[in-house]
Amino acid sequence: MDTAIILMSAAISAGTPLLFAVLGGILNEKVGVINLGTEGIMLIGAVTSCIVFLQTENLFLTFLAALLASAGLGLIHAFVCISLRANQIVSGLAITLFGTGFSAYLGKSVAGSALPVSVPKIELSWLEPIPFIGRVFGNLDIFSWLCIFVAIVMYFYMYKTSWGLHLKAVGDSPSTSDVMGVSVDGYRYFHVILGSMLMGLSGFYLIMVYSPNWIEGMTAGRGWIAIALIIFARWNPLYALACAYFFGGLDALGFRFQLLEVAIPSYFLKMIPYIATIIVLMFVGWKNRHKPPIEPKALGVPYFREQRF
Amino acid sequence: MSQRTSIEQATVEIKTSNKGVFPYRFEYNPHKKTNSFIVPIVSTIVALILCAIFIVINGMNPLTVYGKMVQGAFGSSFGISETLLKATPLLLCALGVGIAYRISIWNIGAEGQFILGAIGATAVTIFLPNLPGPLYIPLMVVAGIIFGGLWGLFTAIPRTYFRVNELITSLMLNYVALLLLDYLVFEPWRDPEGFNFPGTPLFTPFQMLATIGGTRLNQGLIIAVVAVSVFTFLLAKTKWGYELRLLGANPTAAAYSGIKVNKHILLVMMISGGLAGLAGSIEVSGVAHRLMYGISPGYGYTAIIVAWLAKLNPFAMIFTSIFIGGLIVGGYSVQTIGLPSSMSLMLQGAILLCLIAGEMLSKFRLRKATGEE
Amino acid sequence: MKKVLGIFMILLLFMLAACSQGTTKTSESAKTEEKSEETTGEATETEEKELPKVAFVYIGVPGDGGWTYEHDQARKLVDETFGITSTTVENVPEGPDAERVIEELAQDHDIIFTTSFGYMDPTFNVAQKYPEVLFMHATGYKTAENMGTYQGRGYQPAYLAGIAAGMLSLNNKIGYVGAFPLPEVIYTINAFTLGAQSVNPDAEVSVVWSNTWFDPTTERQAAVSLLDQGVDVLANYQDSPAGIQAAAERGVWGMGNDSDMNEYAPETYVTNPILNWGPYYVDVVQSVIDETWKSEAVFYGFKEGMVELAPFGKNVPQEVQDAVEAKKKEIVDGTFDIFKGPIYDQAGNIKINDGETLADPDILSMNWFVKGVKGTIPAE
Repeated sequence: MDTAIILMSAAISAGTPLLFAVLGGILNEKVGVINLGTEGIMLIGAVTSCIVFLQTENLFLTFLAALLASAGLGLIHAFVCISLRANQIVSGLAITLFGTGFSAYLGKSVAGSALPVSVPKIELSWLEPIPFIGRVFGNLDIFSWLCIFVAIVMYFYMYKTSWGLHLKAVGDSPSTSDVMGVSVDGYRYFHVILGSMLMGLSGFYLIMVYSPNWIEGMTAGRGWIAIALIIFARWNPLYALACAYFFGGLDALGFRFQLLEVAIPSYFLKMIPYIATIIVLMFVGWKNRHKPPIEPKALGVPYFREQRF
Repeated sequence: MSQRTSIEQATVEIKTSNKGVFPYRFEYNPHKKTNSFIVPIVSTIVALILCAIFIVINGMNPLTVYGKMVQGAFGSSFGISETLLKATPLLLCALGVGIAYRISIWNIGAEGQFILGAIGATAVTIFLPNLPGPLYIPLMVVAGIIFGGLWGLFTAIPRTYFRVNELITSLMLNYVALLLLDYLVFEPWRDPEGFNFPGTPLFTPFQMLATIGGTRLNQGLIIAVVAVSVFTFLLAKTKWGYELRLLGANPTAAAYSGIKVNKHILLVMMISGGLAGLAGSIEVSGVAHRLMYGISPGYGYTAIIVAWLAKLNPFAMIFTSIFIGGLIVGGYSVQTIGLPSSMSLMLQGAILLCLIAGEMLSKFRLRKATGEE
Repeated sequence: MKKVLGIFMILLLFMLAACSQGTTKTSESAKTEEKSEETTGEATETEEKELPKVAFVYIGVPGDGGWTYEHDQARKLVDETFGITSTTVENVPEGPDAERVIEELAQDHDIIFTTSFGYMDPTFNVAQKYPEVLFMHATGYKTAENMGTYQGRGYQPAYLAGIAAGMLSLNNKIGYVGAFPLPEVIYTINAFTLGAQSVNPDAEVSVVWSNTWFDPTTERQAAVSLLDQGVDVLANYQDSPAGIQAAAERGVWGMGNDSDMNEYAPETYVTNPILNWGPYYVDVVQSVIDETWKSEAVFYGFKEGMVELAPFGKNVPQEVQDAVEAKKKEIVDGTFDIFKGPIYDQAGNIKINDGETLADPDILSMNWFVKGVKGTIPAE
């Protein structure tokens, strides 16, 4: 039981930064825009947080600054992909290159400075008596809760409101939504920027909670894993919650296997989610081969109003 | 009901804020003829000016920096040979992803296919240690192509028979390939004499590609250029090329006209993966001379950029791969005059953004708003 | 086709820029050279000889707070001592890229320091091509006529850190996060364990491999997995302070490697073994100026000043500090040898016979854990 609690706690703490980025990615892809800039945006979010926190020592201002900075990169991606209708994959790669470089450039002066940060934790004493849950969720930091909260709100937004329907329409069939009077570009802009802000929060979380000092390229490829998890989660925020924690847990499990001297190389353990995703998708695809596919159909396709036939 | 109205309000708000009060509006015309000379040059200059701002803030002269960058990449025979060396894997991978993009197969798995190619070539050296020397290179190249091609096929099969988006599968397989590589070089294939360094033993001379004229440039460059010529020919002159073009232009029509779409997808993905695998085998046998961790510094992803900048034209990829290769090589060179490594990444990102933005922007024209939308 | 021409034009434009800039650049650099000559002229009046041009190749960035940071500190000392501005190239991946960067530097430098194990073969290859340039490769085992290699006896301060850990641990459970199972890390962990056992025979050191140098998130997860096992002292052979920070959050003693990391966890910090390259780099450059440089494989310890122990954290008890200082004296004056038998491996087989000491080559290629280490070295 204790092992389970410890594993679950480790999974949540490792999964939270991934989850922020995955949720951001879902918002992007749901409106039909692939954002491969995740890694760059996360880094910009992290470095901005570091600089602003060292200046102000104010957690709230830092939070806002991370949002603002990542929204900036999101705006560039949105402008290039939506207004200019350029190739989304190239734009995303360029954003990652630029974000990685720019964050390293900005971070030169603060590299190595320790952040005197202590993120408030929420103690839920009424949870204590419940076995497992009480121990795992009784003492999480506020941003882990924020992340869970965002996932739940997003779920209701996407599946239970008519905005969510428009969202789906814009991602599936922009021309139809245009006819319905939904502003395709407006929706896309809004969600790409909002999604980028969540990716920035992922960087914020990494540096504020996880490793409170700036190191160049400190995301170490987590942005790319988040992109894969979007699909693993099948664009559903609640699945994303489960997937991110599952993935975080696998990481934690790998180290524990080492301690137990179990002879499973951690590399194979880490392959499981990717291979499982492909197999699950194949299974679902085979089962639903006569039904419409689940992913946003206009994913990666710029919308030209002039192309309306 | 009330919810409904509020949504409509929100929608209207977004619309108005989007339109703004600007009396002109941009109109997009995808068929507008653009000047191929001006656009890329202007875009690059804009990017250079943008980055110049940061370089000045960094306390350096941008012209000195850019001069050094070009000098490092193209200013000497050493620089040129190294740039071409960098361009070779980029060109082959770009050729691979390009041919898939032509029929709207979004293969972003060149990175994984590259790694598998490198693994395949190395497997020959590990499992067949006592072959007659001259057999090695052909076998390694073929193994690289087969491994890469099979990895490409793993992306194609879910797409054709299980309707799984190839973008997803190819991306996932990149991670699997990377983890497989890590496993091999950290554990079973690690050089026992190598002080536990995560890499295989160095290849024997028979397992290395011959170099050209005292530089590190090798036969790989020739293979790459031949591959480009072959593909240009195949695409332009054969029935297969014609069918691919038809498929790329209108898949539905192509299917009705009797083209076997699935067969084409499978074949194209095998070729696409095979080319990336070829690049991988050339990288290990020609440059690295061993399989080691981090064998690809992101060639597969960079190749996507190379392919797009060339508008998927195989011949143009020669130039774009040299351009990007030079950008990377020059990016290291500028560090020798004191510019941090971050700056060259920024520059690459900015140039790319400006190039694709400029390309599309040139298809817009400014028009007086007529009121109707 | 037009597009192709367009790109070709860009390249041409670049070439032109290069040619026109080439001249400006040289005139400018000439100016700076003049300047630096003026300043050095003041500093060392008698110096008549032209100063060597020095270059450094880094695997990471100076801001990593660990490995590259220490090399960059040493670089600064070289620059100050000789009044030169040495060249640095950072973030160079081990492999083909490294060979290009080293060769490019070899074209206009006199001494090149390549500061990562994986640079060994590239450095060796370039050294063959440029016999007139001197190459100094850190932590490797290949040397050539014009290529030396150097390494710090990191196990000496690690043994001392182990003593501190052994005394501080109350439950005898000590954790160790290692980056990669390289001999350098393995002998450090062994020395650390021997140190801990010298004061606390029941101490056990659990080892987890993070398989990364530069990923604070993964390093933290590795550290947390040990903390969850209940270790009450956590050591890290990593570049980032992530492990120390994770330990601090749980009020567990933390120590790292390579550089002083006191500021990241002032309350629970113990000490860090430090690699202090500065004095050696200055010696190398001086010997090149004096033309006395010769190729050798250097393995320096406390005595030569290449390794150090960082100042203790403020909460480390005085008795621990005293015990460590006492042992340090013995190591420095050569009366105490760390890898001296009898030493047993994990399975209890004797690896170093009673009274025998381990020779340097055996230390440098160490591939087994001593008794008391819990963990595995991945099999071949």
